[in-house]
Amino acid sequence: MDRTLTNGNDLLILAFTIQIISLIFPVIIKDERKSIIVFNIALVTGLVLGLISTLFSLLFTSVILPDSIISTLSNNWIRLDGLSLYFLFIIQIIAIPTTLYNISYFQHYINKNMPIKSFMTFYLLIMVSTQLVVIANHAILFLVSWEVMSISAYLAMLFEKEKEEVQKGSFYFLIATHTSVFILYIFFFLLHHESNSWFFNDYHISFSGNLAAILFILSFIGFGIKAGFMPFHFWLPRAHPIAPTVLSAFLSGVIIKTGIYGILRTFLFLKPVPEWCGWLLLVVGIGSAIFGVWYALAQHDIKKLLAYHSVENIGIIGIGIGIGFIGSATKMPVIEVLGFGGALLHTLNHAIFKSLLFIGSGVIYQNLGTRNIELMGGLVHKAKYLTILFLIGSVAICGLPPLNGFISEFIIYNSFFQTAKELKNYYPLSMLLFVVGLAFVGGLAVACFAKINSIMFLGNERKPISHFHTSLFDYLSLVIFATLCIFIGFYPQPFIGIVNKVLNNGFAPLNSTSALINMNWTYLSLIFLSILFGVIILYNVMRRIQKKYGRRTSPAWGCGYSGITPRMQYTASSFADELNSILKVILIYKKKVKISKEPFPKQVTFESHSQDLIDDKIVTPGFNFLKSIIMKIEFLSQTDIRYYILFILIIITIYSIIAFIWV
Amino acid sequence: MGIEIIQGIISIIIIIGLAPLFAGFINKLKAILTGRIGAPVLLPYYELQKLFKKETIVATDSSFISRFSPLLNFIIMLIASAMLPIGFWKPLISFNGDIILFAYMLGLARFFQILAAMDIGSSFEGMGAAREATFALFAEPIFFFTLGSVAFISGQTSMYEIYHSIRLDNVSYIVFIIICSISAFLLAVTECSRMPIDDPNTHLELTMIHEVMILDNSGLDLYLYQYSGYIKLFIYGILEISFFYPFSAHSYLVGLIIFIFGAIILTFTLAIVETITSRFKMKNIPQYLLFATAIGILNLLIYTFTK
Repeated sequence: MDRTLTNGNDLLILAFTIQIISLIFPVIIKDERKSIIVFNIALVTGLVLGLISTLFSLLFTSVILPDSIISTLSNNWIRLDGLSLYFLFIIQIIAIPTTLYNISYFQHYINKNMPIKSFMTFYLLIMVSTQLVVIANHAILFLVSWEVMSISAYLAMLFEKEKEEVQKGSFYFLIATHTSVFILYIFFFLLHHESNSWFFNDYHISFSGNLAAILFILSFIGFGIKAGFMPFHFWLPRAHPIAPTVLSAFLSGVIIKTGIYGILRTFLFLKPVPEWCGWLLLVVGIGSAIFGVWYALAQHDIKKLLAYHSVENIGIIGIGIGIGFIGSATKMPVIEVLGFGGALLHTLNHAIFKSLLFIGSGVIYQNLGTRNIELMGGLVHKAKYLTILFLIGSVAICGLPPLNGFISEFIIYNSFFQTAKELKNYYPLSMLLFVVGLAFVGGLAVACFAKINSIMFLGNERKPISHFHTSLFDYLSLVIFATLCIFIGFYPQPFIGIVNKVLNNGFAPLNSTSALINMNWTYLSLIFLSILFGVIILYNVMRRIQKKYGRRTSPAWGCGYSGITPRMQYTASSFADELNSILKVILIYKKKVKISKEPFPKQVTFESHSQDLIDDKIVTPGFNFLKSIIMKIEFLSQTDIRYYILFILIIITIYSIIAFIWV
Repeated sequence: MGIEIIQGIISIIIIIGLAPLFAGFINKLKAILTGRIGAPVLLPYYELQKLFKKETIVATDSSFISRFSPLLNFIIMLIASAMLPIGFWKPLISFNGDIILFAYMLGLARFFQILAAMDIGSSFEGMGAAREATFALFAEPIFFFTLGSVAFISGQTSMYEIYHSIRLDNVSYIVFIIICSISAFLLAVTECSRMPIDDPNTHLELTMIHEVMILDNSGLDLYLYQYSGYIKLFIYGILEISFFYPFSAHSYLVGLIIFIFGAIILTFTLAIVETITSRFKMKNIPQYLLFATAIGILNLLIYTFTK
């Protein structure tokens, strides 16, 4: 066995040990402030060690060998193949800055009798179980860690449990995650039934009968709920705003990505999949992307808006996976590598910039005490560096050059062109529609992030801000994320290399294509660098010229009216009004204007509402329908515990009979 | 290799140098068509020269964004102009997938221009920015429906190669290209804030989109914005002209002559359109843009089924 690889794995075991040991600090250290710092530093140490080991395996080994010392030790319950390592890498790289942000986030809650220590416990459980989810090779281990991850996320979400919105939002999360895990139980039991094994590396189901189709649909729904694809996205905009910011960042950055991991893992069980799987993902993906971003545009709650953007980006990842499936169905490794490559890289990129944006919004929330962007404004004068960092995240999430979002979207665009080129027939037409759809998503994202950046940071303060404080750890975590955004944008080669290695170890046949590496990355880097240097040079030239001809400030022109107040600035609603009016029906966008007819009108009111069609017409009525059914069997709900024991006995008997007949 | 780089650099110089002239020609023609004598053709140059020497005044509440945005806009226009073929000359920047980079770079410029407009903190700029964000939404889809559909048919992803794949020898393909070019014209009108969408000449803020966004800019900032605006107009002009090269004939001189000829025709078209149409009501603009998008879809459908 490769000796270096073994070393890497020793480090991983050590990393896990340190992470778990860090749990004792909240227990033994009484002082809240100290325990937070020590716990998080210990956790970060563990994560950094893990990251080093993961990066070592991803970067410096020529071929990823899944059967290593850690799998021998764990009796093959844990296996580090390419896909696992890649997602482990994403989790660790996001978890480190998020954990650093923990330190400053909870400073605001110290000595307020908040359950900080229990939050820390759940946070650690989330960290460890999420990592276990992606490296588990045994269905039972996978399901257990999946469940631990979901439940501890739910419990951590209840940090401010006395608020009503927190109880409601987290309940939706619980429903979603339980539905998901229930479907996954069926999925894995069917897999076990088919292959007589609990180990992932034994699952090779050929896609011929109905069973594989059922398996695929089950996995798509089960993992899709977690990922937040459009019809199942209802829990995202409800759970993200109410969770503590650290958790929303981790939830959006990493936990929903475990759904993507699941879908890709299913692909490895079932490959090659037929073409309709690809089309399913493409259609659902483009739907999620377009409507996710459009609903985001109508939001005023910054975290809710970001949650809808997660739906959008998951949609884009779904599109990439769909193209990958089509490539696998048509036996075209080039298409496969480009599609999956775009999806995998976008998974990493989205995790980075979404966490950056969530943490940025968390810093603002801690200072202003509101998530409503209509009450913000003019933050740039108080927090210049935060503005720049948030702006970097925004440019990246819009997929604009020269940051990382563009790189992954560029690969996905190229995968469309490649599909059309290789497969001719009706493909050019359909792929063109997807290109246009993705371009439309890009345009909407630009509009949306232009809106929130300008309303939150630019102009005048709508509500006076006495002081704005950004602590060292806030900056530290934000800067790490922003640096990653810039680095992947300007120099994507190492990450492309990693993705390519992962894909050539399991997805496409070994080293069948180097389409991903052979794209013009150097060219792109050069162009981006020339933008950067062009701006710097022009800036200096301009300063010289302005020194000669002068530069001064003066109030903005107000048509001669001088009583301008900050309330007269353009608001977020008015910015988005024209866009929302185009699709009134689907957005359920309603406006209410009340103008008094008096000669000297005293009060004029305006309100606008926008709802989510799927949420409003499918999810909520669906839940109400379920509730009405359940209320019919309410008489079964007795106060006497013996009845419950009886019910449990009956259920177990029924299960046993079914199991007996089946086996 | 060497000659290609020199040609690429010459194309950039041509675009940057002649862009204001192009705008000046349109204005002159428009004036003549409406029965006026009109400003001299070289007026845009004089204006730029004047702005260059003016003091720069920035709004009190503005931030570094207002300072950064004109620079970025100008640089992006420079780089975008390096991606376009003039005649048969290969552009300086040409690689597989540059069509995507082109569209997204213009998106980046737009993003920062909207931010810079909102940075002033005045409702005027806010209004312009919101409109720009709304109408720009359709720009990229239309772009991909026109140039992208040619790309999909030819299987090329570099702008130079895409234009070179156009062969005007098949009737249905000729019709397809003509309709594509109409779509591209509608796009150019939108993006460069010309007449049925936006009026480049009025100073009434409530009716404007692009002009109102730069209302509070002056001096060197305005210089950069105006110059980028001229370059943008010329870039879209080139996108339009390039549809009509007989690319089978490879002669640099012929290419250049056709290019100049095409530019003159385009000038006439723009001036005539601006003379005979009036600006749309704001609420009708989305319909116009959806129409331009629909043309693209229909065109491609028809081409696919008659091929």
